[in-house]
Amino acid sequence: MMQNLPWLFLVLPLAAAAVDWLLLARSPRAAAGVSIASALVTLALCIAYLCGMQTGAPAAYAWFPAQGFDLNLGLLMDALSMKMMLVVTGIGALVHIFSLGYMKGDPSNLSRYFAGLSIFMFSMSCIVLADSLVLTFIGWEMVGFSSYLLIGHWYHKDAAADAAKKAFITNRVGDFGFLIGILLTLGIFGSLHYADMAGHMKVAAGSPVLTAAMLCLFCGAVGKSAQFPLHVWLPDAMEGPTPVSALIHAATMVAAGVYMLVRLQVSMGLDAFTDTACCVIAGIGAITALLSALMAAQQDDIKRVLAYSTLSQLGYMIMAVGLLAGEAAMFHLYTHAWFKALLFLAAGAIIVRCHHEQYIWNMGGLRKKMPLTVLCFLSGTCALVAVPGFSGFFSKESILEAAWERSLPLFILGIIVAAFTTFYMVRLCLVAFCGKARTHEAEQAHEPGFTMLAPLFVLAILSIISGYGFVADQLVPYAEFHAESAEWSATLFAGLGALIVGGGLAWLIYGRPASLAAKSDPLGANRFSRVLRQRLYIDAFYDRVLVGGVQYWFSCLVSCVDDGIIRRLIGQGLGLLTAWAGHLLGRIQDGSLRGYTMMTALGVLILMLILIILF
Amino acid sequence: MSTTNLISSSYSWGQFTPTLVLVGLALLILIADAFLPRLNKQTCPILGAVVSAGVACFTAGSSASALFTSLACAATAVCLLMAYDYRSLVYASVAGGKHEDGAAEFSALPLLACAGVCALVRSRDLIMLFASLETVTLASYAMSGYFRRNQGSVEAGVKYLILGAVSTGLLVMGAAWFFGATGSFTGDPRFVLAALSNPYLSVGMLLGVALLLAGIFFKVGAVPMHTWIPDVYQGAPTPVSAFLAVVSKLAGFGALLIILLPFIMLQTTVRDMVHSLVLMLAIVAAATLLLGNLGAIPQQNAKRLLGYSSIGQAGFILVFFVSLRSTIIGPVFNYLLAYGIATLMAFYALAILRMQRGSEELSVFRGLGRTNPRTAFMITVSFASLAGVPLTAGFLAKLASFQSLIGSMGRPQFIGLWLLPIMIVCAAAGFYYYFKALRFMYWEKPQANDVPVVFPPVCTCVLALGTLLLIVLGVTPLLF
Repeated sequence: MMQNLPWLFLVLPLAAAAVDWLLLARSPRAAAGVSIASALVTLALCIAYLCGMQTGAPAAYAWFPAQGFDLNLGLLMDALSMKMMLVVTGIGALVHIFSLGYMKGDPSNLSRYFAGLSIFMFSMSCIVLADSLVLTFIGWEMVGFSSYLLIGHWYHKDAAADAAKKAFITNRVGDFGFLIGILLTLGIFGSLHYADMAGHMKVAAGSPVLTAAMLCLFCGAVGKSAQFPLHVWLPDAMEGPTPVSALIHAATMVAAGVYMLVRLQVSMGLDAFTDTACCVIAGIGAITALLSALMAAQQDDIKRVLAYSTLSQLGYMIMAVGLLAGEAAMFHLYTHAWFKALLFLAAGAIIVRCHHEQYIWNMGGLRKKMPLTVLCFLSGTCALVAVPGFSGFFSKESILEAAWERSLPLFILGIIVAAFTTFYMVRLCLVAFCGKARTHEAEQAHEPGFTMLAPLFVLAILSIISGYGFVADQLVPYAEFHAESAEWSATLFAGLGALIVGGGLAWLIYGRPASLAAKSDPLGANRFSRVLRQRLYIDAFYDRVLVGGVQYWFSCLVSCVDDGIIRRLIGQGLGLLTAWAGHLLGRIQDGSLRGYTMMTALGVLILMLILIILF
Repeated sequence: MSTTNLISSSYSWGQFTPTLVLVGLALLILIADAFLPRLNKQTCPILGAVVSAGVACFTAGSSASALFTSLACAATAVCLLMAYDYRSLVYASVAGGKHEDGAAEFSALPLLACAGVCALVRSRDLIMLFASLETVTLASYAMSGYFRRNQGSVEAGVKYLILGAVSTGLLVMGAAWFFGATGSFTGDPRFVLAALSNPYLSVGMLLGVALLLAGIFFKVGAVPMHTWIPDVYQGAPTPVSAFLAVVSKLAGFGALLIILLPFIMLQTTVRDMVHSLVLMLAIVAAATLLLGNLGAIPQQNAKRLLGYSSIGQAGFILVFFVSLRSTIIGPVFNYLLAYGIATLMAFYALAILRMQRGSEELSVFRGLGRTNPRTAFMITVSFASLAGVPLTAGFLAKLASFQSLIGSMGRPQFIGLWLLPIMIVCAAAGFYYYFKALRFMYWEKPQANDVPVVFPPVCTCVLALGTLLLIVLGVTPLLF
C-alpha cells in the first residue's frame, strides 16, 4: 500500500478538481481551501521524498491489455522527475496562495478557477512523473486542456476567449508531430517506456528515420514550449489571470517541452539525437531566443514584455538541449522557473494595485508606492539579466559555456540575446518604477496584502540563492548535477559585456528626464521599432497567409469535397438510405401483432434451416 | 420416473434461499395490502428494495450463479426504488387516484419475477429452467399491463402476453425435441455427444436446440424474437421497462448460458459438429446488432430508443457466445453489469422527467445542462457508458466483446471477417443515437417556462452511486 503513495501526486489534485467542480461550485472559499490543501500536501510529499523517504517502486496501472501492446501507466521516480516535481509543486503551491489575494473580489466563478488550477497540477504531474511516452502524452494533452480553461477564465472577454482558442489550436499543430514521433519511437525502440529505451535502438545511429523521429518529437516541444514558428500563442495567453501566467506560461507548462527532450536524452542516450536533429533543435532555440528578445524590446504591456522574455529564455534552454547540454538546460529551467514566477507574480501584484492597468507608460513612480513588491521584482530582474551573484547568472553561464565549446555562432547569438534581455528589462523597470506616476491609478497604488507578499518573498529568496552550488547541487532536476563555480573565462567577460552594453543603452534612452515623463515610447516612431511592435509581422503573416490564404483555399477545397461528396452523396444518400431503412423498420414495427408473430415464425424457421442445412 | 428422481435429487433447498425469501416477502406484501387497510403503501416498495438489496449482498459470491443472483436482486431493488418515486402515477393508475387499494401489487410483482431469476440461474435442467423462466414471464405480463387506464400500458401487456406465449411454446417444443434426441433434460454432455454422433438423432437435437434458443432469444431480445421490445418498453410503466431491460434480459442470458453449457464443454472435442451452431449464433448476433443500432437512429421517444438500444447491446453480448468458450461467463457478466447500471440510471432519470415534464420524448432532456448541471453530468456518464466512451465501464465491456471475437478469428466460415465490421459500424451508430440525448441536455436551451427538475433524494443517490460505479469500474480494470 505504502509503495503506491506517489500516486497521490496525481490523485490528490484530480480529486480536488472534481470536488471543486462538482460539489463546491457555489462556495468559492471552500473550493480554494481544497485546492490549496491539495497543492500543499503534494509539496510536502515531494519534499519528504527528496529528503530520502523510500516507499519502493509504485505499482504500474494496467488499464487494459491489448494483443501485443499493454497499456501500462507507471510512475518514474528518479532525481530528474522528483526534483522537477519540487519546482512544479513548489511554484504551484505559492501560486495557489497568491491567487487568493489576486482573485479577491473578482466577479468570476472562483471554484472554476481553482478547479482549473488543480486539474493543471494533475496534468503537469502526469508529464513529470510519467514512465512512458503514453502517460507523457496524456499529460501533454491535459495541460493543453487546462491551459485552455485558465487562459479563457474570463471567457466573456473576446480577447481571452480568442487567446484560449489560439493557444489550444497552435498546440494541436505541434501535438500532431509529437504523436507521429511517439509512434516512430515505438517502431524504433519497440517500447514507449523510458526505462526500456536505452540500448534497444533497432536502427543504426544517425539514420534518417531516427532524425525524423527526433524532429517529430521535437514538434511537440515546439508547440508546448512555444518555439518559433509556433510561438505566437504564448504572448496572447497573457489574457489569462496573472497567477496562471506565472504558473503555466512561465514556470512549468511551457518548460515541459524542455523537460521532455531532456528526459528523452537521458533515457534514449545521446546517440539517438542525430547531428541533423541537434542542429535543427539548437537553431530553432537560438532563433526563438533572438526574435523574441527583439520583440520584447518594444512591448508596452508589462505582461507581454515578460511573456516575450519567457520565450527568449525557453529558446536558450532548447538551444542547450540541441547542444546536448541537458544539465545546463535543466539548470536554467530550474532557476528560470523561480525568478520568472517571481516576476509574473510581482507584475500581478502591480497590476492589481494599479486597478488592472498593464500599460507600462501609464505607471511610473511605483518604487515609492509599493517598495517591497518593486524590490522583489528587481531581484527577479537581476536574476533574469544575469547579474553576477543572482541565480540566473550561473545557469546562463553554463548554457553559454556549452555554446562556447560547441558552436561559435550560437555563442554569439546567445550574447546578443543577453544584451537585449538587459535592455528590455532595464527599460521596463525604469519606465514603470522610476520618475513620477503618470496616471491617477498609479498614484493610488499601494503595497499588496500578506497572501500576495509572502509568495513573493519566498520566490525572491529562491531567485537569489538557487544558483549557488550548495542549493543547486541538491535541487536542480538532473541526476548527479554539479554546479561549477564561475571562473574568469571568455564567456564570463562576454556575459558581463552584454550586461553593461544592454543596461547602459537602456539607461541612456529611458533614463533621461524627458523619457521618464513621456506617455509613450520615445523610440515608438522609429521604423525598426514599428516592425518590432508588430511582432515582426509573424502574427499578421499567419492571419493573412495561413488563415486567410492557405486555409481559405484549402477550406474551399474541403468544403467542395464536404458538400459535394460527403454531404450530398454520402450524407444525404445515407440519410435517404437510413430513412428508407427506418421507414421499412417502422413498417415492420408498426404495432401489428399479427405481423410480429409472422416475423417471429419466419425468423425461427430460418434459424432452424441454418442449423440443419449447414450441419 | 428415473428422470424426475434425478432432477429432484440434484437440488437442495439451500440453493433456493434467495427465491424463498423473495417469494415470502412478496406474499407478505400482498397479504398486508389486502388485510391492513391503513397500511401506508409507500412502505411496500421501500421494504422490497431493502430486502432485495439485502439478498443481493447476502448472496454475493464468485460463482456465476451467485453473481447473476446478486446483480438481479440489486437491479430489482433499484426498480423498486424507482417505483417508489413513481408512486403518484401508480396510485393514479389503480383507482384514478381516489384510493391506493391494490397499489402494493406493483411492489410484489417485481419481487416475484426476481425470485424466478434467482431460481433460473441455479437450474441445471430444462424443467427447472422452464418453470423459473415462466415465473419471470408471468410476473412481467402483469407488470407491463399494470396501468389499466393507460392504453399504451394495456397494449404493451397484451402484446407481451401473446408474443411471450409463442416463445413459451417454442421453448417447450424445443425441450421436447431435445429430450427426444438425448433422452435427458439435464443437458449432460455425454448424452449430447451421443446424440450428435448419431446421424439420425443429431438433426433432431439441433432442431430442439434451435427452438430452445428461439424461446430464450425472446427474453434476451435477439432477432427474430425482438419484435415486442420497442412497443412494450414504450408502453409499460417506466420502472417496469427498466426491469424488463435489465433483470429480464439478465435472466435470458443466464438461461442462454445454461442451454449452451453442454456445447461449451464439448467445444474442444466436437469442434466440427457445432460449427453450424456457432454460425447461427453469429448470424443472430449480427442481425441483432444491425437491427437494434440502426433502428435506434430515427427514434424520438426516449423509452423506445432505450428499447432499441437494449436490442443493440444484446447483440454485443451475443458476440461473446460466438466463441463458445467457458471463459465468456466473466465478460458476459461484466457487460451485463455495465449495461445494467447505465440503463437503470437512464430509466430512473427518465421516470423523474416523465413525472415532472409530462413527456417521454427525447426533448424532455432539454436544457438540463443548465437547469440541473450535476444530474445532467450523471446522465451524461450513463449514456457515455452505454455508447462505450473510454474511462467508463461500458468501454471496457465493449472492448471485451471485440477482443473475444478477435480471439476466435480462425473459426469456420471466417465469422470475424464480416462480424467485426458490423460491430464497428454499430458501435459508431451507438455514439450517434446515445448522444442525441446529450445534445438535448447541453445544446438546447431550456424553454421559457422550464423550471429546474427536482430530482428526489433517492434518485440522486442512485444516480450518484451508478456514476461512481461506472467510472470506478471503467478506470480500474482489475475490479472488472
